[in-house]
Amino acid sequence: MAVPRSRFVALALWAAGILAAIGITARTHFVADLSAFLPRSPSAEQAVLLDQLRSGIAARLVLIGIEGGTPEARGAASLAYAKTLRASGLFDAVHNGDNSAFEATGKFLFEHRYLLSPAVDAQRFTVDGLRAGIDEATSLLGTPAGAAIKSVILRDPTGETVRMAEGMLPTQAPKSEDGAWASRRAQRAVLIATTHADGGDLDAQERALTQLRTGFAPYEAQGLRLLVSGSGSFAVASRAQIKSEVERLAIAGGVAIVALLLVAFGGSLRTLVTALLPVATGVLAGIAAVSLIFGNVHGITLGFGTTLIGEAVDYAIYYLIQAHATSGAAQGGGAQRWIRASWPTVRLGLLTSVCGFAALLFSGFPGLAQLGVFSIAGLVGAALTTRYVFTVMAPDGAPGTALRLRLGHAVGWCTEALPRLRWPLFAVTAVAALVLVILPSPWRGDLSSLSPAGADKMKLDADLRADLGANDAGTLIAVSAPDEASALEQAEAVGARLDRLVDSGAIAGYESPARVLPSPATQKARQQALPDAETLRPRLAQATVDGPLRADRLGGFVADVQAARTQPLITRASLQGTPLAGAIDALLIPGSGERPWRALLSLQPGAKPLDADQLRAAIAGVPAARVVAIKPELDALYARYLHEATLQAMLGALAVCALLWLHLRSWRRLWRIAQPVAAAVVIVLAVLGASGVALGILHLVGLLLSVAIGSNYALFFDQIRDQQEHQPPGTPVAIDNDTLASLALADLTAVISFCLLAVSSIPALYAIGEVVAPGILLSLLLSAAFIGTRAR
Amino acid sequence: MPQRSERRRFLVCVIAVVAALPARAQASFTLEQLMQLLGQVKAGEASFVEKRYVSMLERTLESSGRLTFETPDTFVRETLKPTRDRMAVVGNLVTMSMGSRSRTVALDSVPEAAVIFEAIRGTLTGNRAALERHFTPAVSGAPARWTLELVPLMPRLRELVTSVRVSGQQAYVREVVVAMADGDRSVMSITPMIPDGAASAPPAR
Repeated sequence: MAVPRSRFVALALWAAGILAAIGITARTHFVADLSAFLPRSPSAEQAVLLDQLRSGIAARLVLIGIEGGTPEARGAASLAYAKTLRASGLFDAVHNGDNSAFEATGKFLFEHRYLLSPAVDAQRFTVDGLRAGIDEATSLLGTPAGAAIKSVILRDPTGETVRMAEGMLPTQAPKSEDGAWASRRAQRAVLIATTHADGGDLDAQERALTQLRTGFAPYEAQGLRLLVSGSGSFAVASRAQIKSEVERLAIAGGVAIVALLLVAFGGSLRTLVTALLPVATGVLAGIAAVSLIFGNVHGITLGFGTTLIGEAVDYAIYYLIQAHATSGAAQGGGAQRWIRASWPTVRLGLLTSVCGFAALLFSGFPGLAQLGVFSIAGLVGAALTTRYVFTVMAPDGAPGTALRLRLGHAVGWCTEALPRLRWPLFAVTAVAALVLVILPSPWRGDLSSLSPAGADKMKLDADLRADLGANDAGTLIAVSAPDEASALEQAEAVGARLDRLVDSGAIAGYESPARVLPSPATQKARQQALPDAETLRPRLAQATVDGPLRADRLGGFVADVQAARTQPLITRASLQGTPLAGAIDALLIPGSGERPWRALLSLQPGAKPLDADQLRAAIAGVPAARVVAIKPELDALYARYLHEATLQAMLGALAVCALLWLHLRSWRRLWRIAQPVAAAVVIVLAVLGASGVALGILHLVGLLLSVAIGSNYALFFDQIRDQQEHQPPGTPVAIDNDTLASLALADLTAVISFCLLAVSSIPALYAIGEVVAPGILLSLLLSAAFIGTRAR
Repeated sequence: MPQRSERRRFLVCVIAVVAALPARAQASFTLEQLMQLLGQVKAGEASFVEKRYVSMLERTLESSGRLTFETPDTFVRETLKPTRDRMAVVGNLVTMSMGSRSRTVALDSVPEAAVIFEAIRGTLTGNRAALERHFTPAVSGAPARWTLELVPLMPRLRELVTSVRVSGQQAYVREVVVAMADGDRSVMSITPMIPDGAASAPPAR
């Protein structure tokens, strides 16, 4: 009894596999940040760029607006609200123009002024230098601008505080309205916060956003409105969107397929449950495989996975319809017959699909690789369930004929009618090909097209950024060096060159880590320029003759200079725990192992946009420095990946062809199968291109899918045609209608699930849906037309 | 009797009205009129001498230099003595230069610095809207000798600056007195340059 045992083994293995998959799925960590759809980058420079995008300071910024009410109410709310946020501990910094909040920062800067002030050198402490410094500092007194330094002038008569502040104050500060920042263009108060949490830690980002909303409740009661933007809020929102969307897709897809199956199989619940088995197996296998390989499953993978419902159910449909025992055949013979007649074709279809999806595995996007693994594991799981479990559980396919007979007849009629349209359809394909040649390349999608944030959210983000002068870090200068000291030295060298551009007005300003943390060499040089008390006192006495300040009042100054001579130098480590840690962490990234230390200098454009070539020329003298223009750099990155993916897709298509040829051993049949699939691709591309859709990497994936799925249909038609050609003329073709009905039903389920994707609001999903849904429908119709049985 | 008292009342009224006439005429020199007067001069140049009285300093600070302005929104203050520096306000941008250092910031982002600029620029260019955006203005005097008292609107600024008092003759500003809340004070005396004579002034840095 070898056969029953092997059947038992198959069932036992299947059950064990399902249990294992359920176990893995239950422990799976589901993620939804879009960075999985950023390319994995090979170059170190681009890695920094992507790091910055994923978790750098830019990813931690939260832009906040307060609208409604009077300007006074908004200002007061801004001041109080910012205090609540600072106290929450979830934010490293909350800026709203309220300088009183930066007492600790001011104190640190003041205590280290002789290490930090760019004015400190030996000349500064000569008699002339002291006199000039005192004159300059005191000239601010008696004006509103001088009020801040009045309290420290006796300890800082040369105005080092002012000199430090000059370098550190942003050139593009927002408008200040009675102590709180306000928009210049709209009736709103604006704030900017930096979350303590990493930009990539979406749970923590979500907590910070919740704190933002709950903390605002009292002001909401006063009729004020809170606006929040920033990459963290985008990521959290898109995660929520992906989550709800995936649930919606899964439910809608499930309901649609169940309804279709119920109608097709005459309301048989048993058949329905049976048909869903490969689907469930496939989904579980997919999740488990992705989870094992990647350690997590992306929400988009799951959303995409819902289309697997439509594909995996195909196998069940093929089997249940095609294995249906013809009248008079032996009980249980259906399975054997199906294994003999149809399984080779289904298997070939499976292998071609796997070939197609395998191309995704090698794409540079971890998110796409997940889709590939998910689809391959899911399809293999579903096909194996059909082959080994169904043949045991339902040896005669689905009982009842109900609607599928009529469906079969209808499809049969179509397949007779469609071939008559062969030449018009060839003409359509030719026109589509012509359109593709004439049109400019529609392959111009970019990374931003992957973001699910709507136009209104993007506008709010742009508005708040403009209000806050928080330019999107469009251009950076990155300096790499083996250690902290040389990174800072190089940053200083770049800074000296940028100063010239600031003077000439080419740029408005820049931020450098060396302003807050000068290189040890610079700090040491400043320290060495400080005279000891014995030298300083007589010079000071001479410098203050007839001056506005008497030397005997400046004892604090002499003591501070004396103390600064032996003050420990500031390092990145010693800044930790100070209010300046956040600022320096954003601009100075420590190296580790292979990775060098990096200093980042961000630039503020002046009246004219930044000229990357001019910048490159300006910093040419610092070999370790590089201009990184983020948008073009990312676009280039994306274009390169698109190019690579195109090559991979072509290789995938070639592999599919090779596989088909190996199986068919016939160039004629391969050509016959390739025609409808290629024509479907051409027509879909032409229509999308002509309607102005910017095609990107996900559309390419969609094309690959259409080829993988569409070739299955072509295979069946080819099989039927082949059978007919080997039969003596005049033989009735009764068996065809069942196969055709199964094909039509399979196509319908797949089209439905991809149509659902096409109406999704997540760009990554609808890009795939809008290509695959029409692609596979066309593949079926064109297969019928080009390969279909000749009407006799 | 009642008739007489009636007449007396009438007389008193007439006298009161007549007596009040010149006073009313004087008080009716309004901000609007002053702005019109000042607005007639589209561009100008003047020399200034500023004396600053700061309680914590040993002596009065004195500086001198040159002011230039041009409608609608350009104002430059160039200090020539004791050290040269230059502050140029154009629109919402203020550029401060001293020696080789130069910095440009948005005027409305530093209200402490903006308050004086807005007062002087708004007055020189006769920009009533700009003045009323930042101050509560009060005009007194007559075209021949007027005073414009400007009290900052922002409460935070009033904690620093009590008032900016601009006085002048006809279309010319002659003095700007800034009274600080802590008692410090600066007095800037302004001498308008005759347009032709301005050419002989040393060129700007």
